[in-house]
Amino acid sequence: MTLQKFISWAAQATMVSTVIAMLTPVIYMIAMSFRTAAEIIEKPLGLPETLYFGNYANALAQMPYLRSVFNSISITLAVTLLVALLGSMAAYPLARRTSRFSRIVIMLVALGLATPPFVTITPIYVIFRNLGLLDTYLGVILAFTALNLPLAVFFYTSFIGAIPKELEEAAKLDNCSDWQIYWHIIRPLLGPATATLSLFVTLMVWNDFTYPLLLLTSPEKFTVMISVYRFLGNLNVQPDQLFPAAVLGSLPLLVLFIFFQRRIVSGVTAGAVK
Amino acid sequence: MKRNLSIYWFTAPALLVLGCFFIYPIGLSLQMSFTDFKGVGEANYVGWENYDRFVSRSRYMNAVWVTLKFTFAVVVLQTLLGLIFAALLHRMPAIRNFCRAVLFTPAMMSFVIVGYVWQFIYSPSSGGLNAVLELIGLGNLTRGWLGDPDTALYAIAVTHVWMFVGYTTAIFLVGFANIPQDIEEAGRLDGAKSWQRFWYLELPMLAPSFTVNIILSTVGTLKTFELPFIMTRGGPDRATNTLSLEIVNNLFGSYKFGFASALSIIMLFIVVIVAMIQNSYLRRKEGNT
Repeated sequence: MTLQKFISWAAQATMVSTVIAMLTPVIYMIAMSFRTAAEIIEKPLGLPETLYFGNYANALAQMPYLRSVFNSISITLAVTLLVALLGSMAAYPLARRTSRFSRIVIMLVALGLATPPFVTITPIYVIFRNLGLLDTYLGVILAFTALNLPLAVFFYTSFIGAIPKELEEAAKLDNCSDWQIYWHIIRPLLGPATATLSLFVTLMVWNDFTYPLLLLTSPEKFTVMISVYRFLGNLNVQPDQLFPAAVLGSLPLLVLFIFFQRRIVSGVTAGAVK
Repeated sequence: MKRNLSIYWFTAPALLVLGCFFIYPIGLSLQMSFTDFKGVGEANYVGWENYDRFVSRSRYMNAVWVTLKFTFAVVVLQTLLGLIFAALLHRMPAIRNFCRAVLFTPAMMSFVIVGYVWQFIYSPSSGGLNAVLELIGLGNLTRGWLGDPDTALYAIAVTHVWMFVGYTTAIFLVGFANIPQDIEEAGRLDGAKSWQRFWYLELPMLAPSFTVNIILSTVGTLKTFELPFIMTRGGPDRATNTLSLEIVNNLFGSYKFGFASALSIIMLFIVVIVAMIQNSYLRRKEGNT
């Protein structure tokens, strides 16, 4: 029994170290960001001997970082609001009525979910140019809303489906309209679903690269990833610029993940399994 | 009856968005794919010319081949690794949640950042990977991982798997948790060893998790753009030039909107066909067990 216990303990210790070893690139990124370029080239694997903040000072001076963080957060808020409202409104009838119409709508939503963004990117660029939506916040917000909406509809449909119907039936007897039922009874119950959804939206808006790259051209409108990309470019990326920019670009979400990891992981897997 | 009608109006705003951003663009893409539209000016109807160009030039078939090779490598590696992690963590409840969260962490990072960091890890001169190989005495394996056409695509595939293996593990763990306790218990009472329970009891019952994982990672990988865009720009010698990269290059490198649209439609076909084949094959397997 004790031998068995020892083996199980050793196996778990091995597993934990393996899993933590998977984080090496993240730790490497943070460690490198505090070393000077000369140190990195001289000893590629060394840990920082002193915490050198010069790389960060340079990056912050050359990259519109705070402005782009503000842009990313504002866009996220607008998209979350729109997606939550449109998604939950559409989900209410889909969760409560099983008709041919509901099935057709669900098929259309599934089509939206399965379409790779590269299929629609050319036409959306052309449409936005004709409507004057290129390089506007509104354009990016609409594009992200469309990208997130299919998932939101499915998410809310399964969530509303699990809400008991008794309250609605009582309200119907009191002659409430469908809109009143949705707004006063269903919508207030959606808090937990909306919280998880807002984490998805944050993740997507913060990390997505393709749409803002193609739609935004003025630096003061850039999201965080675009300002990181414009700062580093493609050729001859210098390590003393790369690592601080990478840390600045990913740190906010890594911190968010530490606080909400349970909700994020279970939300993502629940969304996938359904 | 009146109530039944009115409630469907709630879907109208969402349908409007879906119409404007998915259905109309797909139609417009299809239409543009038969023209020589250059972004500005007249779009002339050119029939199947764009599609002809696609099949007759090895460059574009090569992009499809690169995309499929990349997808295959990622899906196989990621599914296997995820399964191994999940099977082990399923037997280690004390550390399960911690390990799941750690494995999931890279998925919080953007492709852009991951691409830059791994580009440096793979770099020939002062990159981390070659330095580690030197350190453990495998100095003869060092190379410019992204500069060598034989290794570049697989190096990017490893990066992609690193990002998303936590995702696969988490989905498999849900599958393990859904296996009824009494089945595992019966296996244990019959004296089945841990690996026997895995092979004969758990693996067949994980079929739905396989379906979800394989389809999700396939659809997610077929559209790969950011990692090769940041790490290699499609090189060396087009060894990492995926279909998505080709679309963006035609669009914003040479303003061939018509041809880019044709590539988009081809991509949509590939995604739909691959997903349908996988779906019917995997569902049939699920039914058999």
